[in-house]
Amino acid sequence: MVAAKKHVAIVKKHPKRFNRHQSDRFKCVDPSWRKPKGIDNAVRRRFKGRPVMPKIGYGSNKKTRHLMPSGHKAFLVNNTRDVDILLMHNRTYAAEIAHAVSSRKRVEIIARAKQLGVKVTNAKAKVTTEA
Amino acid sequence: MTNVSSDLIWEITRQNNSFLFKRRGNGGIQLSRDPLNPVNKQSRKYNGFVNEKAVGVQPAEKGGVVVTTKNAKKVNTPAASYSTSTIGPNTSNRKTYKAIANITSKNSYRPDIRAEAIARASAIKLSQRPKKDAAESKPRGAKAKKTEESA
Repeated sequence: MVAAKKHVAIVKKHPKRFNRHQSDRFKCVDPSWRKPKGIDNAVRRRFKGRPVMPKIGYGSNKKTRHLMPSGHKAFLVNNTRDVDILLMHNRTYAAEIAHAVSSRKRVEIIARAKQLGVKVTNAKAKVTTEA
Repeated sequence: MTNVSSDLIWEITRQNNSFLFKRRGNGGIQLSRDPLNPVNKQSRKYNGFVNEKAVGVQPAEKGGVVVTTKNAKKVNTPAASYSTSTIGPNTSNRKTYKAIANITSKNSYRPDIRAEAIARASAIKLSQRPKKDAAESKPRGAKAKKTEESA
């Protein structure tokens, strides 16, 4: 496995999720973000001490967008042929085995990735057995 | 020479072609599966099916690399338009690279992708070397004590 290319430090400006206003008070209010629209709403009016609303300024640096902490981008693979594409990109992309792939084929994919020096993000899934 | 220009082929096929490999996640990744594409990047320069002259480097069955080139004069006879040369596993790396450099740059065939073709050959040669097994992890902490007691 090869380490990823050097990159500028990954900064997440707002690591916590943006939860919908008052989703903590009522179970019927889902935490998925919805912009408050009420005329008196304090969150909408950005009052001090109120939760902040998501906006474009919280976006990640373009250079580190979609990067994993290791510095790779995940690339979904279904078979060994897909892994072969990453031969020249093992410092940019890491293989991620699709969820429906059987454990027998996962072993083949992981073996091929090791030969090519490609990182596999979910190499232990479905392959490890109980000792 | 062909009747259809490379630029026209590229304009028609750049959105979708059989070699193109699209991934929707992570901002949309586009790679190319073209065997004549030395870096697997989807681009006018590297895609082999677009250009009249192209260099492909693939692993050979018994180790080593196979270098494929396109003959610009035989575009209308596809079967005869490719020429391959195999560089075996016993050829030293330096000689392999020299051979590829000669194929790509002699008669100014495609000097612009010489470095990429050699880099690919290098990566293939590296992948053909035997790999070490990962070291078995030793139990640590409470687990280590337990195994020691039972042993």
